[in-house]
Amino acid sequence: MSEWQPRILAILCNWCSYAGADLAGVSRIQYPPSIRVIRVPCSGRVDQLFILKSLQSGFDGVLVSGCHPGDCHYISGNYVARRKFALLKPLLEFIGIEPDRVQFSWISAGEGERFAEVITKITEDVRKLGPSKRLVKKT
Amino acid sequence: MNSIVMKQDASTAIRELLAYLLSSSRVDAVLTMRQVPETGSCDLGLITDPSGMVEAEPFLPVMTANAGQALSSISMSGKRIAAVLKPCELRGFTERVKREQGSFDNLLTISSICGGVFPLEKVISGDLEKLVPRYIEKTARAEAPRGLRETCKACEEFVPMNADISVSVTEHGSLMHLHSDRAEEYTEGFEGERIEARADQSHIDRMMKSRSAAKGKLFQSLEKSSGLDGLVDLFGKCVGCHGCSRVCPICYCQHCDFESINFDYNQPYFQESLEARGALRLPPDTILFQLGRLTHMSFSCVGCGMCSDVCPVSIPVAGIFKKTGERTAGLFDYVPGRDSEEPIPVMVFKEEELGDIG
Amino acid sequence: MAAVLPVGSDLSGAMNRFLKTILEKDIVDAVLMPMKVPSGDSFAWIIMSDSSIVDDAEAMAPVMPVQGARALRSLTRKGEGSIRVLALMRPCEIRAAIELSKLGQVKTENLILAAYDCPGAVPMDSFVSDPSSGEDLFRKMLAGEDVSAGEVKPSCTSCVEFSMTDADLHFGHFGLGGTEVLLIPGSPKGMEILEALELPADRETSIWDEAVRKRREKQVASRDAAFEETGENIRGVQGMLNVFADCISCRNCRAACPICYCRLCHFESETAKQDPNSRLDSAVTRGGISLPADRMLFHTGRMTHMSLSCVSCGQCSDACPADIPVAQVFSFVADRTQKAFEYSAGRNDGDPLPLRSFMKSELSGIHEMVSDAEPGGHAHE
Repeated sequence: MSEWQPRILAILCNWCSYAGADLAGVSRIQYPPSIRVIRVPCSGRVDQLFILKSLQSGFDGVLVSGCHPGDCHYISGNYVARRKFALLKPLLEFIGIEPDRVQFSWISAGEGERFAEVITKITEDVRKLGPSKRLVKKT
Repeated sequence: MNSIVMKQDASTAIRELLAYLLSSSRVDAVLTMRQVPETGSCDLGLITDPSGMVEAEPFLPVMTANAGQALSSISMSGKRIAAVLKPCELRGFTERVKREQGSFDNLLTISSICGGVFPLEKVISGDLEKLVPRYIEKTARAEAPRGLRETCKACEEFVPMNADISVSVTEHGSLMHLHSDRAEEYTEGFEGERIEARADQSHIDRMMKSRSAAKGKLFQSLEKSSGLDGLVDLFGKCVGCHGCSRVCPICYCQHCDFESINFDYNQPYFQESLEARGALRLPPDTILFQLGRLTHMSFSCVGCGMCSDVCPVSIPVAGIFKKTGERTAGLFDYVPGRDSEEPIPVMVFKEEELGDIG
Repeated sequence: MAAVLPVGSDLSGAMNRFLKTILEKDIVDAVLMPMKVPSGDSFAWIIMSDSSIVDDAEAMAPVMPVQGARALRSLTRKGEGSIRVLALMRPCEIRAAIELSKLGQVKTENLILAAYDCPGAVPMDSFVSDPSSGEDLFRKMLAGEDVSAGEVKPSCTSCVEFSMTDADLHFGHFGLGGTEVLLIPGSPKGMEILEALELPADRETSIWDEAVRKRREKQVASRDAAFEETGENIRGVQGMLNVFADCISCRNCRAACPICYCRLCHFESETAKQDPNSRLDSAVTRGGISLPADRMLFHTGRMTHMSLSCVSCGQCSDACPADIPVAQVFSFVADRTQKAFEYSAGRNDGDPLPLRSFMKSELSGIHEMVSDAEPGGHAHE
């Protein structure tokens, strides 16, 4: 049987991080095939619930990525997102989800290399943690 | 601070003040707890006729609904209202005002240093008659009465934060403190000796001591409820009635996300889940609802305890939300309900902050 | 006629084995049944396709934390797929599911609804505070021993539909001394299950029939007494006001009700919201009002919306934090509204919902009928 591969949901903002992923692709930069991408207009659109729901539905990790602070296409969406992520952190701890399963990053449209690095990092982090418990108690 | 000395007990004095405000047409209505003498049943009354004041029990240690929630839409009528609110109700209302669900514009808020309230079950079982006299006696001595709501025993925010008028009752007497110009203006002509005084700090300190100890205990008892297994143990018996969110002063959404079509699943979803896990709980998302509510409102939780009171399966919801809320609000030095001008932490940001994210 | 399931030592265990068998033999794809929650003080509905999980489940749970029809609603509301599910529930849960299917909220095509002779349920609050006594109590109830009425859910003590042959398959055990269970098919679907298991339905059921008839007689008497008491309590507007005096408007009753399926209740919608100014005007007119407002309007409104489908399961009372006998009142009213249309909620007899059908010539004596149906329901006394 082949080795277990983590499945990671990457929620990317349309203007920076999605374009960064695109650049990584056209530049043929290699990164692990572990992510499934959802494109959102802005990282500010991401409700913390999206992240919890992804983990519950069976994703092993979640990455949310937006424009660098100061570069938001909508001026301030990523600042608001940053606050929401800050709020989510203690909650994840309370729920008992390992902090490395949920990661946030800022990737611009020109950072194809960085996109690949971020994906490689989260993939390795999640691989170390093993499969997610899907918010259920194992009996 | 300008304060009025109350000759009679605090309830009588406030009842007289409310009647005075109504009969002198300074306000159009008052909101207060009241108790029907014959049946003993209590409710929140919005009273316009001064004669109705006989049933008013402004400081009845009972919360049938968070008055901040009940006051919400009424406060936007443009009519002048005097509202007697417990500190957590006032904080709940303040949080609602920040969410454009209420207005202070025509409101005179009256609150008090709060001794806590009894759980609904005690009210329903008719124990109140016995409990209240003892409650009054004990709280005047800054002692904790028995049988209060768990969150009340552990509440450190028992001093009103932004009331126009606050009432303090100690063994040495009762005072009405006037905190705002509106308070001065509305009480003008109301009988009673004016003195310069603040609430007795040693009384507050003594209350705080027992509250802090109880809070430590409560939080510690909930320690085992964190982590996935702890959460499943805790919320596993949740019946999904969502009563906690309906009585919550912060949960103002008319249509909760968790009751929306977003949380209906089609059959392929169930089929897939069954294939992956072999079993699935129905209705689904019992625990996700609690976690979702924690992400949506815990930083604004005022710890009133309504949620625990209505839970049909006795889950200590309020303790969990209060404990988690202190952590989430603490990230931004946010104190829910402190000041209506203080913005909700997720609605604002600083450019230079939270450098560890991303 | 019925098939026979030998019991051995444990009634609930025998039913578990039966459910496990039909999963193992792929007669159904999944079963829906109660399982104890990890904290041990309640039960939850679990749909399971893995037959080994059935061992941890409980065919008959002492409590009814979530009305089973609500579980079925969440499973099939968005339409049915290809999984065939057998749901084992109390008769009132099956009846609610049938009502919901008439209301388009449960799709029964791929469901096999199975019920059992229900001895009643233990109230949630007492079970949560002492689960082991609750389980002992339920064992006694199952064995037909006398328990004091105060320990059982009030709606169960006056339930006359505790045994139900409108389900696809019924597990009858009353009067059989705990040695065997009768598998009574109520529909071709139920018959198919028995055929697939090669269980012939050749047993005569007279002993069971007699036991059920006797119990029903007793239950009818206690229901009539309960109705009489409730009728007295809610007499006139003041009576209703007194009964609901402690209502805090949490709407748990509505949320726990299997029939109240609306996503956004009318009474929580924008339509029902009164303009704050007119609310104050009405306070001025009356000298004062009680908040949260419109509590009686909510209860009577809910009654008009769902009493024709009320199955008297008692979940509303169980969920009420103010201990209001909501279920007793709703049962009382439902009994009368349903009689007015000769309708019985939860029957699988093809009767359409009364308000979804009409006949051109009917209800000509509407005025007399209304006054007959509501003894004491008038404000003017």
